[in-house]
Formats: sequence, structure tokens, C-alpha cells
Amino acid sequence: MVHALQEIQRMLKPDGCLIDIHPVLEAPLIKVYQGSRILFVEPDLGYDYEEDLRQAENALTQVLDRRLFVIERSSEFELITYASSVPELRDFWAKVGGYDDSPKDQAVEARLTELYDGVEEIRRAAGKKAEVAYHERARITRLNPNARKEEPR
Amino acid sequence: MTIRVDPENNETRALLELVDFDGQRVLEIGCGDGRLTWRYAGKAKHVTAIDPFAEAITRAKENIPDKLKDRVDFRHIAFEKFAAESKPSTFDRVILSWSL
Repeated sequence: MVHALQEIQRMLKPDGCLIDIHPVLEAPLIKVYQGSRILFVEPDLGYDYEEDLRQAENALTQVLDRRLFVIERSSEFELITYASSVPELRDFWAKVGGYDDSPKDQAVEARLTELYDGVEEIRRAAGKKAEVAYHERARITRLNPNARKEEPR
Repeated sequence: MTIRVDPENNETRALLELVDFDGQRVLEIGCGDGRLTWRYAGKAKHVTAIDPFAEAITRAKENIPDKLKDRVDFRHIAFEKFAAESKPSTFDRVILSWSL
């Protein structure tokens, strides 16, 4: 990841900037809405990329320490994806490469199946106007390449 | 119902509050199906949008609005390979889109 950030700095013009968008270190929420009413809300038990996020944060810290970039501004936002059902949501993730289909711990897989089945049951019982929503919080950061050359380590 | 991603435009608003794309050359890494690309590309001079996932890039190319066809170049390529073939000081903006 540090090497990728070095390559980005090389490809950027000196007065350019890098915008990094990545999820914050907290589990996304899965909700069922009926209109504006929230019928169900639980953290997504399939959230298992915490270690990846820690590595990403670590890589950013390293390039800041090495003065390859300086942070200019940062903020957080919530990205919400709406679907008519859990299968539709998962199918969408598979199509855009956003679904982690790597083998999971059996206990996690069982809890995940139970969660998704439960969400589907509530959605179906609520009728046609009910929908599933996936809430992810993300941080967006503007980083400017530092004009100084990297100092020898 | 079809899938709706960020109909509230929270991501777009956060992005446009942070950076100006007018007349800029942009590289978007991890563009997926172009969901975010469509929302700023109209302002940019040119966008190169890359993703290692072939199906997502196929969807992006299928769904590209006519008005952006000469402005956005979607490429199915890994970042490492793209970087190896890219010259220094090429882009005004680089977006790491949910991909670090």
C-alpha cells in the first residue's frame, strides 16, 4: 500500500491532489425501512475487513510521516445502498466486485445467514413498500503531495 | 425496485466540497461500475478510470452516458500495471475510491 501511494505521488502533478475514500473502522448497518419507518437495524456481521482497514490507515500514516503527502482536509459521510431484498443487494455487490466471497469462519457464516434470513423475513412481512438499506460510514481525505523530496532513511 | 446507491448524494457532496474538477485530468482507482465517476466527470477535462474487476468495467462501459464517452476512459487493469506504464506528473487529481 505504501508503494502504491508512492506511485500515486509520482503520477500526480506537483500542484495536484489525492482524494482517498475509505470506510471507517466500524461495522456497516443493515436496516429495513417501510417508508421512513425503521423496522430493523443491526450491524452487518459479515464485516471482516477491519484488518485491511488498519493496514490502509497504517500506510497513510507512513506516507505522512515520510512527508510524501500532507493532509489538507478530511470529513466523513454515510453511503447508503437501497435494495428491494437482501439477494438483490448481494447480487449487486457480486456484479461490482464489492462482495467478499472468501471463506469465512463457519460460526460467522451461520450468524450471517441467520441475519440475512431475518432481514428478509421482516422485509417480506412488511409488504411491497419495504426495502433493505446498507449504511456504510466513510472518511474522505484530501492529501497534497509534498514538494520536498523524501529524506534518506 | 432497482438498486439505488447514495440517492442522497452524500458521497458526491463530500467529494465536491473537497476538490474542484473543472478542467482537470483525473485518475480514479477502483472505479467499479462508474457509480462515482458519472457524478464528477462532466466537470473534468479527462478521466481515466481503472478497476481490476472485469465485470464492473464492462458494466461501466455499457452504462456510460453519451455526453461523457469522449471524456472518460474505463480500463480493466490492475493499479500496479497501470502505474508501471504511466509517466510522472500526469494527473491533476487522483481518487482512491474505496480501494486503499
